[in-house]
Amino acid sequence: MNIYARMIIVLTSIGLISGAFLAGVGTLTKNRIALNKQKEINEAITRVISGAQISNKIYEEKDLIIYRVNGEKNNLLGYAVYAGGVGFQDKIYLMFGVDPEITKIHSLTVLDQKETPGLGAKITSEKNFLQFWKNRDCTEKITLHKPAVNSPDQLSPYEVNIISGATISSEAVVNIVNTALERIRVLKEEGKL
Amino acid sequence: MAEKTISQEFAKGLWSENPIFRQLLGLCPTLAVTNAVVNGLAMGAATTFVLLFSSIVISSIKKLIPPQVRIASFIVVIATFVTVADRFLAAFFPDISKALGPYVPLIVVNCIILGRQEAFSSKNPVFRSIIDALGMGIGFTISLLILSSIREILGSGTFFGMPLTGAWFKPWLIMILPPGAFFTLGLLMGIFNYLDKKRR
Repeated sequence: MNIYARMIIVLTSIGLISGAFLAGVGTLTKNRIALNKQKEINEAITRVISGAQISNKIYEEKDLIIYRVNGEKNNLLGYAVYAGGVGFQDKIYLMFGVDPEITKIHSLTVLDQKETPGLGAKITSEKNFLQFWKNRDCTEKITLHKPAVNSPDQLSPYEVNIISGATISSEAVVNIVNTALERIRVLKEEGKL
Repeated sequence: MAEKTISQEFAKGLWSENPIFRQLLGLCPTLAVTNAVVNGLAMGAATTFVLLFSSIVISSIKKLIPPQVRIASFIVVIATFVTVADRFLAAFFPDISKALGPYVPLIVVNCIILGRQEAFSSKNPVFRSIIDALGMGIGFTISLLILSSIREILGSGTFFGMPLTGAWFKPWLIMILPPGAFFTLGLLMGIFNYLDKKRR
């Protein structure tokens, strides 16, 4: 057989067989991967809004997904907000819960980040960072508090302690939350929530 | 060169032709993912899986592949198994899949795998290729485990995520950062070379 024909036939067949095989593997794992993502989101929602029973996705745009969260008696507990933005090395994705009037952040959790291990990655640490997000007043913009300059226990209601050595990562989280909050307020005014 | 016995074929991947310490292949994932033992183990297992199945396929169809398109054919086969490994991890071990990030898809370009196809599987029968792939894969995994154990114990004070040291130990942050990977790999290579010289 002509060598060119043989080359084309062999490469094409390998490609076709691989493609068919992968299509099979893709179909087999697709549901499970989607399920994992859903499970992760659901777990995050119960973490950021305590008592969450039912959650429905009510709004979605780039880097922002809003879930309406209802409690046991189907009463509106608030909104769980999935938001993403630029971190120090890559995008940070997080979720936080706010009350229905958008005046208070219940809690915040980081879902995906690739910050520097040991420094920026502390944004996932309860002790170093996440605890300061509990019950924050968000009627004003959230700002960072520098414990080295001021005393750490004198946090004003809308302040969050900065992580020493990881200013950019701390700021990134604050920016993501502030941007998301602004957007939610606009959506609420437009009656989309 | 005299034909190697089966056990020699297997053992060469562990020591005399160890992919990391002797051939210096696949160093990029080696340096990147060894900040925790569980990541090292998952990376080693995924690479071994891809290496083993690629070797089986390539050694079975080696006579059909025209030499002009052999590299392209190898890569397509390797990429197929890498995608399988990637999907499998994402479906069943989502946390590990997240931690390894882009390094699972990048197994495609890991030189060990393409290197073994070119140097071994395309010239040897299926059974020998399986033994070679297992030896190389296990050698790679063990090397990753040694490296990641040192880095995790010193860098985080844990082993497989379990606390190992008391509160008196202040973890050496640098060990889980990129420089720690270079230091550890360099020192281990030095020790490996020293032992090898002594053995001869």
